[in-house]
Parts: sequence; C-alpha cells; structure tokens
Amino acid sequence: MQSKAGYLLGKFIELVLTLFVVSLLVFAAFSIIPGDAARVMLGPDATDAQVQLLRSQMGLDKPLVVRYFSWIAGVFTFNPGTSYAYNMGVGELIAQRLPVTLGMSAIAMIMVILISYPLAVLSSRKPGRLGDQVCSVIGHVLFAIPPYVASLLLILLAGSVFKLMTVGTYVSPRENFISYIGCLLLPSFAIALPKIAMSFKFLRSSIIEQNSKDYVRTSKSHGLSDLKILVRHVLPNSNVSSITIISIILSDILGGSLIVEQVFNLPGLGRLLLSAISRRDFPLLSGIVFYLALITVLLYFISDIASSLADPRIRLK
Amino acid sequence: MTRQSRKLRSPEASAFYIAGILLLGIVVAAFIVSLFWTPYAPDATDASSKLLAPCAEHPFGTDNFGRDVLSRVMAASKYTIFISAAGVAIALVLGTVSGIPAGYFGGFADRSIMLLGNSIMCFPGILLALVAVAVFGPSVANVIWALGLVFAPTFARVCRVGTMEIKELDYITHARVMGVKPARIMALHIFPNLVSQLLPATVIGLANMTLFESGMSYLGLGVQPPDASFGKMLSDAQAYIRTAPWLIVFPALMLVFYILGLYFISEGLRVSLSKGGK
Amino acid sequence: MNRFITKTIAVATVAAIGLTVMTGCGKKTDANNYAVVGITQEPGIFDPHTVVAAGDEEIIFNIYEGLYKFDAQGKLNPCLATDVEISSDASVYTFTIREGVKFHDGSELDANDVVYSLKRAAGLLDNQDGTALVAELDPIESVSVTSDGRVEVKLEVSNCELLSYFTTGIIPEGYDNCQAAPVGTGPFKFESYNPGQSVILVKNENYWQKGLPYLDKVTFKVCADMDAGLTELSNGSIDIFPYLMKDRADQLDPAKFNVLSNGSNMVQIFALNNSVEPLNDVRVRQAMNYAISRKDIISVTMDGAGVELTTAMSPAMGSYYDTSLDGTFDQDIEKAKSLLAEAGYDNGFDITCTVPSSYLVHVNTAVELASELKAIGINMEIKQVDWATWLDEVYAGRHYDTTVICLTSTYAPFDVVGRYESNASGNFINYSNAQVDELLNKIPMVSDESERTELYHQVLALLTEDACSVYIQDPTTITAVSTRLEGYNVYPMYVQDMSTVKLVEN
Repeated sequence: MQSKAGYLLGKFIELVLTLFVVSLLVFAAFSIIPGDAARVMLGPDATDAQVQLLRSQMGLDKPLVVRYFSWIAGVFTFNPGTSYAYNMGVGELIAQRLPVTLGMSAIAMIMVILISYPLAVLSSRKPGRLGDQVCSVIGHVLFAIPPYVASLLLILLAGSVFKLMTVGTYVSPRENFISYIGCLLLPSFAIALPKIAMSFKFLRSSIIEQNSKDYVRTSKSHGLSDLKILVRHVLPNSNVSSITIISIILSDILGGSLIVEQVFNLPGLGRLLLSAISRRDFPLLSGIVFYLALITVLLYFISDIASSLADPRIRLK
Repeated sequence: MTRQSRKLRSPEASAFYIAGILLLGIVVAAFIVSLFWTPYAPDATDASSKLLAPCAEHPFGTDNFGRDVLSRVMAASKYTIFISAAGVAIALVLGTVSGIPAGYFGGFADRSIMLLGNSIMCFPGILLALVAVAVFGPSVANVIWALGLVFAPTFARVCRVGTMEIKELDYITHARVMGVKPARIMALHIFPNLVSQLLPATVIGLANMTLFESGMSYLGLGVQPPDASFGKMLSDAQAYIRTAPWLIVFPALMLVFYILGLYFISEGLRVSLSKGGK
Repeated sequence: MNRFITKTIAVATVAAIGLTVMTGCGKKTDANNYAVVGITQEPGIFDPHTVVAAGDEEIIFNIYEGLYKFDAQGKLNPCLATDVEISSDASVYTFTIREGVKFHDGSELDANDVVYSLKRAAGLLDNQDGTALVAELDPIESVSVTSDGRVEVKLEVSNCELLSYFTTGIIPEGYDNCQAAPVGTGPFKFESYNPGQSVILVKNENYWQKGLPYLDKVTFKVCADMDAGLTELSNGSIDIFPYLMKDRADQLDPAKFNVLSNGSNMVQIFALNNSVEPLNDVRVRQAMNYAISRKDIISVTMDGAGVELTTAMSPAMGSYYDTSLDGTFDQDIEKAKSLLAEAGYDNGFDITCTVPSSYLVHVNTAVELASELKAIGINMEIKQVDWATWLDEVYAGRHYDTTVICLTSTYAPFDVVGRYESNASGNFINYSNAQVDELLNKIPMVSDESERTELYHQVLALLTEDACSVYIQDPTTITAVSTRLEGYNVYPMYVQDMSTVKLVEN
C-alpha cells in the first residue's frame, strides 16, 4: 500500500517524464522537417550568403544538442525565447492568442455541462421511453458530425438562413466583452456538439447504473425525493468518472479548437501554430506545443488526483 | 440486471445493427460501384460546365473545375474507407504488440511503454499528424502511418488493461508455472481473449480515424489533389459555401453516414457483448 | 555569375495558411482621414536593403524612397535625385541630389546619406564583408561625393540596365536600426508594428512633395486569408483589399466598393525542370505547351481574370514584350501527340508536380493541368508541400520535375529574363542555351534603348522556341477600394502607394 504522498510523488514524476518525452518528440520532429526558417523569412531571392548570415544571427548554425538544451532550459523556466518570424517573445504571442482558444474552450465546456447534465438526468428517469430514445439517437448523430463539418453547416445556417452573426470577425474581450462572447458562440457550439453527445451518453448510463444500486432503492423506500437522491447520492457517486470524462473532453476541446479556429478565422493558438509550422518558427511552435501538452498533462494529473481523493480505492490499485 | 431486462436488449442490439449496416451500406455500395463505374471520370475537369447546381446530367452538381460531384463522392468513399481501415490496422498492430507485453510484464517495460503512449496522447493528435506529414511529406501512405501512430496508444491501453485482468486467471498462472514461454502465452492465450474488447474499439477507431482524416484533409495534409476524400472535398468547398452549397452538402452527408453507421454497429456490439459477457 | 539575381517570386493570391485578424486598436484620429489596407502576409522585414518578400516591399514603399522611383505606369522618375549623368561606357553614374528633403527624424538629406545608403546596400561599408545586401547593386565598385556635391557611383563592369535598381531606399548616414525603427524620406512615417495584427504608418508632415500625402494614417492590417479579408471589407474594418479573386470581388456591393483590375506584371509558369528526363527533350516540352488550354486554366483558376502568356514576360512590360509570340502555343492535341511520338513517348509518361500548398491558385492550376495532360497520355501526380519545403527543395534545391508558381519582377526587363542565364541563381528550371547566355551578357553593355529592346525580343523568342517551360498567364490583380476613398492607383508590381489616396469629398 502506498501512502498518499508517495502516490502524488509518483504521479508527479510521471508528469515530468511525460513532458520530457514530449519535448524530445517536438525537438526531434522539428529538426528533421525540411525547410529553413532563415530562407522562409528572406524569400526565394535571397542569396545563400544572406541566408547564412541570418541563420547565424538566429543561432541556427549551432549544434543540435546545444540548441536543444538551451531551448529546454527556456521552456521549463517559462522563458521560451523569441519567435523568428514575429520577432517578439513567444510568451507574449501566446498570451495574445490565449483569450480566443481559452474562451472558446470555456464556453464549449459550459455548453457541454449545461446541456448534457439536465438531458441525461431527464433521460435516465425513464430509460427506454420515447424521449430518452430520441435523445439517444440525436446524441449518436451529433457524435458523428466532425466539429469542422458542424462549423461549415453552422456558417451556412447563420449566414444565409438567419443572417445573424458576421462570421469571421473577432472582437477582443478588452474592446467589447459582450461581442467577444458573441463571436465565440458559434465556434464553441461547433466544438461542443459531439462532446455534448459524449457526455450525455456517459452520464445517462452512469446514472442508470447508480439508480439500480441498493442504496438508492433504500433511500427511495425511505421516502426521499428523487431530486434529493440524485443530488446527494447518485451524482456524487458517478462523479469519479465524470472528473475523468470532463478532463478528456477538455483536452479534446482544446485540440478541436485548433481546426475550428481555422474555419471561423479566429486568431487563436491554432492559427499561430499553423503559421509557426509553415514558417519553420521553431521557438514559437515548440512553445505552443509544449504548453498545450503541459495543459493536457496537468488536466490528466488533476483528474487523477481528484479521482483518488473522491474514491480512495483508486490509489490502491 | 434481471433476466428480463437482458432479453429486452436483444432487439436494441439488432436495431443498432440494422441502422448501422444500412448507413454504412450506402457508403460501401458507392465504393464498390465506383470500382467499376462512375458517371464521369472523377478527375476530368471541364471549364465549360463549372459550378452547375444539381441537375439531370449532374445529380449532385459540379465543382469549380466542372468535375461531377457524384462521381467524386463515389471515388472519395474509396479513399475514406481505405485510409481508415489501413490506419486502424496499423494502430491495432502497434497497440497490441506494445499493450499486451506492457500489461503482462508490468514494471519497467510497462512504465516506459505507457510513458511513450501518454506522451503521444498529450500532443493534440492533429498536431502530431501535422508534424509527421510535414516530416515525411504528404501522401496517402504517410497519412495512414501518422493516423496509425496517433491511435496506437488507445489500443495499447485497451490491451494493457485487458491483459492485466486476464493474466491473473488460473489457467494463465498454470501455463506460466508449466514453463510456457511468455510470447506463446501472450499470442495463444491472452490475445484471443482480448478480441471481444478490441472489436468495438476497432469499429469506433474506424469512425474516429475518419473524423481525424477529414480534419487533416481540411488542413491540406491528407489525400492529394486531384484525388478526393470526403474531408478534402469539404475543405475545397468552403470557399463556395454561399454560392454552391451542394459542394458541402453531399460529401458531408456521406461522411456522416459512414461515421454514424460505424457508431451504430459498435453500439450494437457493445450491447450484445455486454450481454454475453456478464 | 549571379550578379543580376532575379526577382521575387510572389504570392498570386491567397496565403491559405495564415495569420491573424484582430480589430485595430484605438484609431481615433481626427475625422476619418485614415485608410486600412488588408494584407494576407505577415510583415517581417522593414530594412530597405534586406527586404526581399513582396509583402514587405508593398508596405515600405511608403516609408523609404530611392534616388529614382517607379510610378503607376511603370515609368522610372527621378525622386531623391533630380538628375543622373551616365558615362558613355555606362560604368559611372553621377547623381544630383535633391535639396530640401527631410528624413522622418528631422535631419536633412545630403550626399553623405546617399553614399552611406548605397554603400550599405552594396556591402561596401567597413563593417561589412563585401556581400551586397541588395544583390543587384553588387556591381558597384565605389561610391563617393564629387567636388560639386554630387554622388558618383563607379561600377566594376559597364551596365546600362542598372538605373532601375537605384530605387533602393536611402536612409540617414550611419543609421542601422531600420528593422525596429524605420527612418526614410517617404510620404509616411513608421509608427508601430503589432505582430499578427497590423503595421501603422502616419503622415510625414515634412514630405518634400508639397500637398502629399492626404491621409493622416494608414494601417496595414493582417488578414488570415482572402475570405477573412472579404468579411472585414464588408464590415467596413478594411478600406482597401488587393489580390482578390474575381468571383469574390463580384460579391461585393458596388455602392460601397470600387473594384479595380489591372495586369499584375506577374508570370505564372508551369515550370519544367529542364535537366530531368523526359523534360530535357525540347519536343516533350513543346508537346506539353500544345496540350494545354490556357483559356480553360484561366477560367477555372482565376474566373477568367488573366491574360494568356506564351513567353516569359508579361505584356505589361510594354515594348520589351514581343507581341509576335502571341498564340504560338494555341491548344493542338494532335500536334502535341505527334511531338511526343517523335520524342519516343507514344504512350506518354509519369511525372510529378510539386506545388506550394498555401497558394490555392497554383494548386488549382496543377489540378487542371493534370486533367488536360491526360489527353496526351501524360500522367501527372500532384504533390503539395508547404511554402518552406517548396523554397528549400524546389526553388533552392531544384529537386523536382515540375511545379507551378508566379514569377514577378519590377519594371526592370532584365530581372524578367536574367534568370534564364545558365548559371543564374534564379534559374530553377535549369534552362541552358549558349545563345541566350550570350545575349544576356551583351544586353547590359548596349546603351541604345531600341537595340536593347530588340535583344530582349530575341531572348524571348529563343525561350519560346525552346519551350523552356509552359507559360500560362499574367493573373489580373483585382483590388477593392472603399467608395469613401479615391486616388488609389493599382501598380503593376508589388506596391501599395498610399500617398495619392484621399477621402472623397462630399
């Protein structure tokens, strides 16, 4: 049997090791991609001498190992260097784009919870009834629509049918918070749709399972109302796995936003990432990838810890 | 669960099967027919008949090159099916050969394999594929490898957990005591028992991989022009979203049919397997 | 010999992989005396001597000025120089410097600034290693101030075609911080650059051309791609948007936007690597020229907005262009087939076309080409690569069979054809013809204008005869300009001249 501290330590070491492997993968991948940041910046007309000059200015002529260690030292101290293409701090650039990606993820997550929880509770009340079945079928259909297809369809609907929103305009939160939320609604919805279906399906079956347990029946026979049983007993007990599923959904949402940003023309991290790849802007690319991976790893870490607190049995495994 | 409620599940499973096979059937039928016949050559451009709305000659309309959308949708089903199947095959092989030993031996081997798997999963999957394609160049084969790599950890997890359960069973312990080699135990005793868990994972993997491939195509990394997959057709069509919506509607429908068909079948499998398994 | 290195390969239209759109911050100058120009490429370099990307040149055209300057008709006019005297053997250029011109930092322009700038551009400063920053100015041997205050430029070899390169920007003597804080003499001053968002320029109150510019402020705003730019146009957050596709321009409200179109002076080329089999056979290259329909390609890729080309130069180059070559390669499938048969490829062959995926027009052109080449049995596979890979492998490395790209130039005709010299660094098609080399070596020595024009015609004829590649079109530049503005001129080169733009008076 492990102690709580030992468990946490083990998880933490795992986290650091994972990040280390991620950093190796990023660096290795980028070192073998053809193309050269200096040449991209200078364009086709640059002479070889000009390219060499810029390369040495950017430190690209140093040996791989040296570059790796100077980079890794940078990212772990949250000082990931300066972007080649934008000539400004990577941290600054990421901070600039974060409102889009985080805002979209947050709104999508709220949509998932607000829609899937009530539906799952209603649906599981009388499993097999018409309403439940309709919800389930719709859930399956939504699950089968890729976020970017949903985006295209939403643009089509919003633009030509409802003439509601101007797609492709981004308003920064500092300028006008309401419009900022407004311009993120459609894209967030596109990302949220399949996740709503996923979370609905999961919650529904988990509530049904809990409902069949003896303690719920006992509570019922003691005359507790359905709502109380649900809030006091059923949901908390299904929570262990909802923490897990929510962290999975969150990391999926982060990934999905990369593509949806592209469809909706939003200046988020995804766009920055693609531009970093196409310009061979290694400090920027690796910074984004590393911190995205960090967020994902942390999410899993937190969900592991949270589940182990909620259900001590998990630690014993 | 009571015996009664188990019985009630059977029609549920078959409803899923029927719906799934019907939907999948549409796509597979398009694929099979396309091998022998398409109304027009899918790549043949014709500047004089570009962007025609659906009409008698072109039931699904034509695209910005004057290519017949129906023919292209049929041809695209080939790539979509092929890429997802080959990708799943690779992920399955990579997943089993890493997941089963990880679960069987535990300890250091387990930790390092899972560490690698976790690291891959921590990447946004699309990014991993993006980098892989950027490194090795865009081609159908590379896309398949990239997909296989991205999805391998999922299968590895299923195998690892399954193996950890199975290896504690008496007959495996017996075999080990008898001195049967681990490789033989894993191949002959453990793997066959994992099939019931791998089957639904495979079907769902096909669907997820298709979603993923369409996302990659959307970013220009998948099937190369003039060939088409559903995702590629959709991404090409985005510029014409207002002027020629038929370019979006038909590939989107086919894509959803394919994925939904697979989900229904996996759902059916899950229902009937959980019934038999309990 | 890469002295006359050639010009920019440019963006035909959309950079699909792109950047960012953010609404401008705090633009509250008096009235509405500003303009916002949409750009689809992230700006990068603001130094007038190291700039190479067309997207950057467009912007800094408003900040820096050279001794000479092109106008919207492609005519070369005196600018910071009032006059030039060229020695009879074209080896010494002597410029008279304009008086009363002030830099953005308030200092007065004098001959020493010109000497410093030209030396810096030619790599002749003491702290430089001799590599010219502006490659075209490499032939400069020395720059000095004459006793009467003029600037004398001596060349290593006579060259009659060099004047158009004295358009390179002049900066204050000793100044070396152009990247972070550009200082020039142009109509607009650099104010700020927000990566991924915008470059902001403000009016130069001391501009030497009286009355210009009209606008107080010009913002170059980065748009992710053409469609993003279009949305911003219709929202009113962009006033001027160049490089539109025709079908998109057609969707704009004519009451709100004037749509201007003009030849772009670009050459879209289906480049054939002349050193790769079977493309090393002139008959194969001719067959490919005859097999395709330029009209259909233009219809499919540009919605008809392009001018068919059969040679390496755009008709926008005026008299240098040879009209007698028009129609040389009108589509003739039978002729193409027989040429292929002659070359021994009765059954056609397989080939790869490597295209930069960020340029939709080129990818689409490749798709149409592949479909048309099928008619003569050529099976062309398309390979999309990203821009960085394309530059590295195709342009610099020349590891490719065929590709599609746009070549641009300024108005210097030598830039257009110079790349076809056997050893030119821009000769990425590996073309080699001793006759062409000889002509290209001769042209800079010929001082007579009409004789030079005749030599250019001969070069073009040889290129066409050898079918060195398949020239497709000069894509039309379509620019949307808000009806609240007037005076915008479409240049047949990569330039956004904002000095003449003003508000429409009501």
